Amino acid sequence: MGRTTLSPATARSTRSRGWRSRLPVALAFSVLLTACGAGTEDDGGNAATDDTGENSGGTSGDPILIGIGVAQTSPVALLGQEEVVGAKIAETFFNDKEGVNGRPIKLVFEDTGGDENGAINAFNALIGKGVVGIVGPTLSQQANAADPEAERAGVPVLAPSNTAKGIPQLGDYIARVSAPVSVVAPLAVEQALSMDPAISTVAVAYAQNDAFSSSETATFQETVKAKKLNLATVQTFQTSDTDFTAQANAMLGKKPQLIIVSGLAADGGNLVKQLRELGYKGLIIGGNGLNTTNVFPVCAKACDGVLIAQAYSPAYDNAINKEFLAAYTAGQKKQPPQFSAQTFTAVQVFVEALRTLDKEKPIKDMDLKTLRTELNQAVLKGKYETPLGPIAFDPEGEIIQEKFYVAQIKMGADGQSGEFTFVR
Amino acid sequence: MGDFLQKLLNGLAIGSVYAIFALGYTLVFSILRVINFAHAAIFTVGAYLTYALTGARFGFNGILKNSALPFELPFWLALLGGALGAGLLGIVVEQVAFRPLRKRGSDPLLTLVSSLGVAIAVVNIVQYLFGAENYSYQDPLGGLPGKVDIGPAGIRTVQVVIFVVSMVIVVALTLLINRTRIGKGLRAVAEDADTARLLGIDTDRLVRLSFFISGVLGGLAGTLIAMSVGIAGPSFGIAFGLKGLAVIVLGGLGDIPGAVVGGLVIGVAEAFVPDSLVSYREAVAFVVLLVMLLVRPQGLLGRAQVQKV
Amino acid sequence: MIEYLNSYGSLIVTMVLGAVLGLSLYLPLMAGQLSLASPGFYALGGYVAAILSTRTFATDGTYPVPLVLLEMLVAAVLSGALAVVVGLSALRLSGIYLALATIAFVEILRVLSLNLEITGKAIGIFQIPQPFGTKLSYLWLAGPLLLAAGLFTWRLERVRTGRAFAAIREDELAAAAMGIDTTRSKVRAFVIGGVLAGLAGVVAAHLTNTWNARQGTFDASIIYLSFVLIGGSRTFLGPIAGGMALTYLPEWLRERADSALLPEWAGQFLRDGRLIIYGVLLALSCVFFPRGFITPELLERIKRLAFRRRRPPSAQPKPESAA
Repeated sequence: MGRTTLSPATARSTRSRGWRSRLPVALAFSVLLTACGAGTEDDGGNAATDDTGENSGGTSGDPILIGIGVAQTSPVALLGQEEVVGAKIAETFFNDKEGVNGRPIKLVFEDTGGDENGAINAFNALIGKGVVGIVGPTLSQQANAADPEAERAGVPVLAPSNTAKGIPQLGDYIARVSAPVSVVAPLAVEQALSMDPAISTVAVAYAQNDAFSSSETATFQETVKAKKLNLATVQTFQTSDTDFTAQANAMLGKKPQLIIVSGLAADGGNLVKQLRELGYKGLIIGGNGLNTTNVFPVCAKACDGVLIAQAYSPAYDNAINKEFLAAYTAGQKKQPPQFSAQTFTAVQVFVEALRTLDKEKPIKDMDLKTLRTELNQAVLKGKYETPLGPIAFDPEGEIIQEKFYVAQIKMGADGQSGEFTFVR
Repeated sequence: MGDFLQKLLNGLAIGSVYAIFALGYTLVFSILRVINFAHAAIFTVGAYLTYALTGARFGFNGILKNSALPFELPFWLALLGGALGAGLLGIVVEQVAFRPLRKRGSDPLLTLVSSLGVAIAVVNIVQYLFGAENYSYQDPLGGLPGKVDIGPAGIRTVQVVIFVVSMVIVVALTLLINRTRIGKGLRAVAEDADTARLLGIDTDRLVRLSFFISGVLGGLAGTLIAMSVGIAGPSFGIAFGLKGLAVIVLGGLGDIPGAVVGGLVIGVAEAFVPDSLVSYREAVAFVVLLVMLLVRPQGLLGRAQVQKV
Repeated sequence: MIEYLNSYGSLIVTMVLGAVLGLSLYLPLMAGQLSLASPGFYALGGYVAAILSTRTFATDGTYPVPLVLLEMLVAAVLSGALAVVVGLSALRLSGIYLALATIAFVEILRVLSLNLEITGKAIGIFQIPQPFGTKLSYLWLAGPLLLAAGLFTWRLERVRTGRAFAAIREDELAAAAMGIDTTRSKVRAFVIGGVLAGLAGVVAAHLTNTWNARQGTFDASIIYLSFVLIGGSRTFLGPIAGGMALTYLPEWLRERADSALLPEWAGQFLRDGRLIIYGVLLALSCVFFPRGFITPELLERIKRLAFRRRRPPSAQPKPESAA
């Protein structure tokens, strides 16, 4: 910064007149910069925020837009990308079955990225593009930020993977197809106890910068105490951590027979791996954030044996799950994961609610604002037969689901391939 | 006692991870007086290169999805290849982001931001090509046991490897700088580049060499750390970038043994944070950094800077 | 046009706030201090707004604007006080050392905010009440803030304080020898910058309705720094233009990606690879435009062009004065 050339400040003071012409020109330049870029926009993105009802007033061939706002980039994409797959399968599936009483559906994707701001921007973009409803976002942490935007705009949201406490309570337009942790998590603990009744000491670790993990761990800890087990230590980490030496050693020092990890795929997987390397031989329960095959490359052979509670089983025997299973395995060559099934279910709920609504009051006569509100009500009133089993919603938007499972990871001999084997 | 020993070992283990990262950083600083933010990106690329060279397959994101090299190298060869590749990348970075600014005599600040731009670009190119998934190496330690017991405390074998390697590197580097002709040239360039050039020393070549060595160190560090914690996506180096700053200031900017000392001290300090304050562990490095800057900016091992008028 | 503005309301306000944040970094830079501390004050301002509006002044429905102004006052006072403390302690440092100290400061603040109850720990604070119905209306807050900050900075360059800054930037020792109170000046520059960032934080917290530790990180410091370095580090218009343009750039790239004209891999590149472009741009502009795009020289040329048109056609053009 210290240059011996003539200081521009002093040089300029000798030309004190002329600021008048400079200031507006420079300001105009900045505005021009923004408007210039803007002027070359195509208008596809500027669908009505006013209610002239574009799509619904169109011909019967006009597709109904459903927004998918999940994480397609950032480490959260490890979960989000399974949701994208599930959504795309749903789109093809339902369009093949005449869509909504003859009209096709079209999915509009907006990437939320991994943080709250990205989710807000994605939701706002989707709302602006005229979607009738949104499926997303991936993380409960993001939902806390983005759902209020949808609530304010009167757009129904179906969350495929938010399991923290309080999500449906964010608004009248917010509902979810992902059962809350308070319902699902205790099952894993029960399963662990049935596999090893001698468990007495438990160590817990969770990602403190993630709303979902913090919520899930509260449930786990309550369950542990309710079962009269000794909760020896609670360790915290960040989802961005990679080295868990300190936490692992602290937990192992208490000689637990059961360790429970609540985090996301990358961090959770690494913690499991490091625990095994340090010689831990007991049972490990993973939370919903580890519930993806994307955790296999992280912990490889060490993933073997981890118990994770499930809201979905590929083996569930009903017609739509069989069709979903067939469509999924044909394209992906492996078993469908929970997140894909849940996203498929979310799209299904929207489609079936639209069909029902359309039969009562033709939706093509509705303007967008009304359609969104009516759809929201239709969603909450309906009962659906989905890959997750029969589901319905309570008035707040919380899912009512009957069937839950527990799976255990079984890794192949090479440590690379693995699968979730259902044990309950 | 067992607890103390365990914590000390933990501290040394994580500390040597920081040290290995900081060595490349501080080498460039010692020659050019600039911080090369792209080091974090080179670190990442080294780890990815090693992964590719072991013939492993990449996942289903990114443009090069599902690809794998048509050959497989044994792990230690792949490590070497990865490190060398990273070194070459270091040279490229130097030519693109540092050289033009150096020729112009620009502000070190500008060089810092320029190298940061390169870091962002490189990390995202890796993501564009290979996606954001995690990878880990297939059994890098061969048949060695996962854990080594030292008295009542245990430590993962891979962490011992990292510690040993960082010690070896620091000795080798110090020997290079102090006992060889090339080292003398490097020191001359560090002292005063213009005079060195006047004396017939090829400064450009030496600068390229130092970036190469720094890149090799970065790539090596990346692979070693990936052996320990896996490759957690393309940005797994950036987190080290910041802590690395604290490490090199603590040890003394530009001081090579200082980088190791700084790393170990911060590692041990983090390990001894009491359990009740465990969530403040992240701040330890930066509190140390702040205190050092206010109290003794030249670091533990550096020489006091005399301000020239 | 109005519809367009509405759907881009959030982006426009964020661009204006970006300009303010660029200025918050430019001010200490005027006095030769590279401070990367702005994100810390930005986060502080945001938390003040978040905490006050969700706990102390909790209201239903629309949040009254005067309360937002009150929050801005509180944020300004707190940021100012913190800036004085930091400024005074960091005085002995310069150049890269000062930059590192400010980086450390930001990180420490971040970890603190991750752990305190009052800041919502790692989850942050949600559902911050909104004083306006549409995002675009936030311009009523952000616009005057930018205007005031811009005018203030521009005037500052002409007044004694500003010249003291410039003198210190050129050569601190000489400035001190000439009787300028360098301590006071440097702290002053630092404080103004911190206060600006804090005020921007208040507006941003309401705008995005959620606030957490991720708002004040090192990545943010680098982004603001690039506003100044690419926009122009020698004139107050530089950070303003830089802040706006560089906030807009990733969105612009994302939109280009959606255009139907591009092949798939190119569209994918613009979508996922926009950060690649951003990084390359940063590096290139450092190499080719080291003082930023908007330099005093450029402004001179624009001014001269404007003046030339005004001159009556018969007059002889005066010889160009030395730039």
